[in-house]
Amino acid sequence: MAQSLLEELGWEKYIGQETGPYTGEPVLARDIRRYALAIDDLNPIYFDEEAARKGKYGGLTAPLNYISWAVGVPGSEKGAGELGEDGLSSFVGVPNIPDVWTLGWVRGGEELEFLQPVHVNDQVTVKGKIVDMSEKEGKSGKLVFVTSEFTYTNQKGAVLARHRITMIASPRKEVNQ
Amino acid sequence: MKNQLYYEDVSVGQEVPALKKSVNTVNITMYLATVWLMDRIHFDHPFATQRRGLPDVVAPGNMAGDYYVQLLTDWAGEKGGLRKLSIQFRNFMIPGDTLVCGGRITGKNIGEGKGWVELELWLKNQNGVNCVPGKGLVELPIRGAACY
Repeated sequence: MAQSLLEELGWEKYIGQETGPYTGEPVLARDIRRYALAIDDLNPIYFDEEAARKGKYGGLTAPLNYISWAVGVPGSEKGAGELGEDGLSSFVGVPNIPDVWTLGWVRGGEELEFLQPVHVNDQVTVKGKIVDMSEKEGKSGKLVFVTSEFTYTNQKGAVLARHRITMIASPRKEVNQ
Repeated sequence: MKNQLYYEDVSVGQEVPALKKSVNTVNITMYLATVWLMDRIHFDHPFATQRRGLPDVVAPGNMAGDYYVQLLTDWAGEKGGLRKLSIQFRNFMIPGDTLVCGGRITGKNIGEGKGWVELELWLKNQNGVNCVPGKGLVELPIRGAACY
């Protein structure tokens, strides 16, 4: 048996793999409004076009952390029957490599640099890269850490945000099978 | 509109006025629907608890980032803003949790004609557990600066 889960999976060759660019559809005022309602952040700059126009961005913008969803997760729009049993098909930070869903994934941490918010009608493009993989022996077994970096730009080519996210994978914990 | 906070107004050790957030299934469902996230651990109670061994359905981790964005965007005001956010996911946030989202200034300096404030951040539940500790970098306007 292989000593290392990473070696066993054969994933290290994917370090440096790039994803995208993927470009989303224009962001709607409705997307922003519903997102702000979901997080219960009722700042008028997300709802009130008149107030937003007088503000520093000159129009409606999304809460900064909306950036992760501004493109839509590529491959996530599938019918219920096509999703894995966890309900997932793809997720920001989970690499697009073979057998990735044979493991369970949780978020480790993330770093975000916000340069500009998403404006209404923006079409955001994301480009990503797997920058690091490592392994650690956790309490309940081996853990694999996958770190990716994403850059988000708008339709004018301006960088809106940079995002570095570490996802943690481990053999699936089935409690009551 | 509230009064603008300036770089000169803040000092190291000072705390940001805390934001209270309650985790509930309605907000979680709104979130899942609006971003099209179908991960069962967020909405399927038997799956989350019996199959994945979680205490309940869990809130999407992104919501922690959103809480910090709200805390610091509101604090920095119209002329300031949140520039960097770094967070670590340590404990799940579950329905019924009441969270205190807060921060303390750990450093400040001036660069490129702007005021920069570093903060340590916490998102503590009713048991005092810091579910998603973090660090932030916030830009604040300088009172004397001509560009404003």
